[in-house]
Amino acid sequence: MHFSSRLLSDSEKERAHQETLRILSEAGVLYHSEKALHLLETNGAVVDWAKKIAHIPEEMVVQTLQTAPKDFVLGARNPLHDYPLPSEVSRYALDGTGAFALDFVTGERRYGTDNDSALGLRVFQAMDMGVGAWAPVSAEDKPAHARPLHEFFTMMKYTSKHGQHEVHNVRQVPYLAEGLIAVMGGEDEVRRRHAYSLIYCPVAPLMHDGPMMDAYLELGSLDMPVMTLPMPVTGTTGPVSLFGNICVANAEALSTILVIQLCHPGRPVIYSSATGTMDLRNGSYLGGTPEMGLMSAALAEMGRFYGLPATSAGCTSDAREPGPDAVLEKVITSIAPVLGGSDIIVGFGEVDSDQLLVLEQIVVDNEIAHFCERIFQGVDVQQEKVLTEDILTLGPGGNFLTRRSTRRMARSGELYISDLLDRHTLEQWTKLGRPGLYSNARKRVEQILSEPMVDPLPDQVLGAMEKILAGADKELAGYTQS
Amino acid sequence: MSEELLKAMAQSIIDGESEIAADLARQAIEAGLDPLTAISKGFVEGVNQVGDSFACGDVFLPELVMAGEAMKAAIAVLEPELKKRGAAREVLGKVVLATVEGDIHEIGKSLVGTMLTASGFEVFDLGVNVPADQILAKAEEVKADIIGLSALLTTTMVRQKEIIEAMDARGMRNRTKVMIGGAPVTSDWVEKIKADGYSEDAIGAVNAAKLLLDAPA
Repeated sequence: MHFSSRLLSDSEKERAHQETLRILSEAGVLYHSEKALHLLETNGAVVDWAKKIAHIPEEMVVQTLQTAPKDFVLGARNPLHDYPLPSEVSRYALDGTGAFALDFVTGERRYGTDNDSALGLRVFQAMDMGVGAWAPVSAEDKPAHARPLHEFFTMMKYTSKHGQHEVHNVRQVPYLAEGLIAVMGGEDEVRRRHAYSLIYCPVAPLMHDGPMMDAYLELGSLDMPVMTLPMPVTGTTGPVSLFGNICVANAEALSTILVIQLCHPGRPVIYSSATGTMDLRNGSYLGGTPEMGLMSAALAEMGRFYGLPATSAGCTSDAREPGPDAVLEKVITSIAPVLGGSDIIVGFGEVDSDQLLVLEQIVVDNEIAHFCERIFQGVDVQQEKVLTEDILTLGPGGNFLTRRSTRRMARSGELYISDLLDRHTLEQWTKLGRPGLYSNARKRVEQILSEPMVDPLPDQVLGAMEKILAGADKELAGYTQS
Repeated sequence: MSEELLKAMAQSIIDGESEIAADLARQAIEAGLDPLTAISKGFVEGVNQVGDSFACGDVFLPELVMAGEAMKAAIAVLEPELKKRGAAREVLGKVVLATVEGDIHEIGKSLVGTMLTASGFEVFDLGVNVPADQILAKAEEVKADIIGLSALLTTTMVRQKEIIEAMDARGMRNRTKVMIGGAPVTSDWVEKIKADGYSEDAIGAVNAAKLLLDAPA
């Protein structure tokens, strides 16, 4: 059977649900979006308009959640990469909107550019454990008023896997819609395939951005799925205990999903979280801690509790640069949500608290994902794996290398074979220049980038996208709301 | 009596007990103790001790913050009494703080405010999503020594640049220094937009502010 964990008992999940309901009704949630507040008020919430806080009653939460789809296919531009939700296994998404990139050629750490995203996405396209792209860096070289559109379009261009990203205000919506339609070949296709989704971060604790929320509600007309990613941090933007922080994250997730459902009942939503812990020495956000892994796993269980596709941040690290610290933290923040049954773990490719894109790290993280997957697969006790007959036949002192079963299972996945870790003998390894995880990953990146791009968009579509972006650059200039 | 009271004041800060600190401040006023003495020989002693222990890693941030909050509570009680006597506590400088327009992230900025207040600055915290004009008007009104601008998003960082340009245009830069902060802010960005000061975290912000005003670190 699969090796899975159960972090919260049924009664503990029920407790988290009840505490969340208290938070939603008593503390309420602050929405900077008037549209959201109107929707909530019309449907039974008590709105304090002066404070922009909606107090959401229990019945409304329970009733509204019922319209959220329990399952749907997260489509991809290339249908081979479609990913049905919920999933029996965990797969991964690229981390997104980091401020910085580690230059693959010079090794310099600098603000991220559009080209960094393009490179990251091309590498991600080749990762077999990755199902969801996200523009990995914020493109500092693009104008702030149209930046998310550039990032979104670059993502559509450089990967044919599912893509999730963001827009910041309603003014950006028509440009995105036009781009999506150009790429997917029609409005119906955008709506039907769900190849692109929106990622949404509430502002902890218990607040929602206005312009972004309004834009996301507008995009409901294209049935774009929304992944809600609450980010309370224990002890600063959330209570210090893991359970308390889980309840705040849950309240933020539900308070997003409710508005989405009230505006467009039945629109696909993805429950997620990206909690953190406070560095007790300086107050900084930490995302690569065992506690973060636990909260991610527990919140995936909460998502499942509501019958929703449940995903989580993970494979995250606070290490300033790639290396052993990053690997340690990424393993611990991956394995917990994997064992907790998270559908997608968001975190490939970045270190430094989700701020630094490192191309080699995408490949290293894919390997971590394989290791975690093998743990999850557990010990298989199907008849063909029992092999008592072989043991009886060979008896004491036998050599199992000669058995057919050994040859057969060499390619069955029973024993995971790493392409990335170096397994040469000591002297061979020394002669080869002591290769390791990161140097092998670097070679893999070089190889991927030297090959032709996979699933390129037709020139005509690329031309249309260029035109849309040029229009956005010009027409949105001076519009400062982010 | 006053010696004991002063010790208790320091201890209330070390323990991070706002109510006790405020209560002791009231006792000091009733006992006729000079409010400046209560601050400098009582409460500040506690702040210094917590600060030193924090620097050594013996005190964690929540303990430091609670000490800062207790200090604020004591000052709030003593300040009116000081004014009554025509005296003023020594203020290292006036700081106008805000998270820039389009950005509603608050905690980092507020933490900087607490640390600055506890260290002897007078802080005017304007909150989040604050338009440039409002920040500059407040700075002019209170004759701010420093404007502190927080931004968490790469798309709102540009507001820091715009505000600095607006200050240049108004000829404010000689009078008022600018400190910036936020997760995507780096020393390169500081240089690029010609800000005066910067810190990677709230603790460092105190020293950065002191440096700008040539105050002893």
